[in-house]
Amino acid sequence: MTTPPELQVDAGPTRLRTIFARALREERGALIGWTIGIVAFCLVMLAMYPTVHGNAGFSKLLDAYPEALRKLFQLQDYTTGAGYLRTEVFSFVAPLLLTLFAVLWGSDLTAGEEERRTIDLLLANPISRRRFVSEKWLALVVGTIVIAAALEGALGALGPLFKLHVAWSALTAAVLGSWLFAVAFGTFALALGATTGRRGIARGVTTTIALASYLLATFSQLVSWLRPVRNLSLWQHTLGVDPLGTGFHWWRLGLVVAVTLVFGAFALWSFDRRDLAT
Amino acid sequence: MLETQSPTTGAPSGSDGAVVRFDGVTKIYRGGGGVRNLTLNVQPGEVFGFLGPNGAGKTTTIRLLLDLIRPSAGTISVFGGDSRRDSVEIRRRVGYLPGDLALYEQLSARDVLSHFAHLRGGPEWSQIHSLATTLELDLDRPIRSLSRGTRQKVGIVAALMGEPDLLVLDEPTSGLDPLVQRQVHDMLRAAATAGRSVFLSSHVLSEVAQVADRVGLIRDGELVTVERVLDLRQRAAHLIDVRLRQEPSRDAFASLPGVTVCTVSGRDVHLEVTGDLRPVVSAIAASDLEDLSVREPSLEEVFLSFYDNAS
Repeated sequence: MTTPPELQVDAGPTRLRTIFARALREERGALIGWTIGIVAFCLVMLAMYPTVHGNAGFSKLLDAYPEALRKLFQLQDYTTGAGYLRTEVFSFVAPLLLTLFAVLWGSDLTAGEEERRTIDLLLANPISRRRFVSEKWLALVVGTIVIAAALEGALGALGPLFKLHVAWSALTAAVLGSWLFAVAFGTFALALGATTGRRGIARGVTTTIALASYLLATFSQLVSWLRPVRNLSLWQHTLGVDPLGTGFHWWRLGLVVAVTLVFGAFALWSFDRRDLAT
Repeated sequence: MLETQSPTTGAPSGSDGAVVRFDGVTKIYRGGGGVRNLTLNVQPGEVFGFLGPNGAGKTTTIRLLLDLIRPSAGTISVFGGDSRRDSVEIRRRVGYLPGDLALYEQLSARDVLSHFAHLRGGPEWSQIHSLATTLELDLDRPIRSLSRGTRQKVGIVAALMGEPDLLVLDEPTSGLDPLVQRQVHDMLRAAATAGRSVFLSSHVLSEVAQVADRVGLIRDGELVTVERVLDLRQRAAHLIDVRLRQEPSRDAFASLPGVTVCTVSGRDVHLEVTGDLRPVVSAIAASDLEDLSVREPSLEEVFLSFYDNAS
């Protein structure tokens, strides 16, 4: 027996009041997955720390490495908490995981809707293209904050269980640097996706530039002729200046924020003037 | 600026009363295709059918109207406002169903419709619910599990909710079974009766003819002709075949009013009649009739023969 329609209790409308809310809702599964992944990575790294911590043999071994290698892998103070995290977590893996997430999502924010052709129906609603891009970008910012917070929380709160102690302010400086680097390239991917309507192009180009940025900052420590141009690298301004050891470099962070805003403004401008998905 | 709604009909009007006005609009794509020098208008309370084969430029025209793409030449005004400059205000009063409908696969129909209702800042949920009930649409299954026809229903509810002043529908009944097609046609006629306007595209004339007041034919990006459906119907000849018990005289039927073609072979008479049928029917009734068949050619044939004559 089916209930006559007039007797059925309708659940009414659901939330999803804004494009921002829907963007986060659609990314919910990915957000949870990436957060678990990053926390798991932190746990593995923390679990290995007790074998390194205060191990004089390790220090001797590392001192015997050529200076170039020590610089390349940022091996200074490897046996201290901050030094260990710098090498194992913030020298490459954690910032680039966060960046990869931001680039994959950023490239999908507008270009994904174009490729899946959902954009036609969405933009039949009375919302401007600028509002659409802005809300999507805001979702990227908030979503990456969630993962960054999980990174900071896992290292800061679980570290002491493995005898790894690091000041919250130092940890925050490193996480903030990683997050700003990720958001900058996520925004760049959004801008390329908004300009071309193609996720593949946005992903490929952005990932290449982000990696180049990392390599430039890292190798400039070894290769003297790279040194004059290393300030072109956003990695240099966020993680290249050892935020775990030296704290916040405000003008550099401000510069990265400014560059990110330029990318965002470009995304707004170029998306507004295009023919969509023809 | 957009002109204000007229209080009586709820229908808006531009300077000359047209809801939609394309004026010399051209949009050419790099790979060919598009529309050339398109000029047409849609009046308040009118259902305008836009007819043409696939790839003729129907979807291009509709996406231009919604500012999803921009013309390379010409102007488009909707409710008296510029399609690009006043786009947000225009879209507040337009319901749109894309031809290539894509919905958010992860969400349910309820989520999708709620989302759009929030973005439109308006339609009451009860109205959305009643549209869904009419079309027998289950709101709670995820979009990815829905058949093409059911997705189309979601799109139709999305377009109709909030009773927009202008409905822009690209192939609205594709994928729907005939019963639902009919329901949708009824909804569109009701909207027009209430003074709202409908701009719908189709590649099937019989569909357009069922709901539209006027039909525009587009081919290879150019508007060939615009005809009132009523005129087309009047132009339509009835094909009448009669078999009599004995051979008639040569001009027994040929001289009757409305008869355009009359061929007699033995006891069989073939007639083509336009306009009033009564004189011919009376003559047939008075004759020694053995058998009779009356057929109406499809509007497609009429429309195309008219188009061929005109060109």
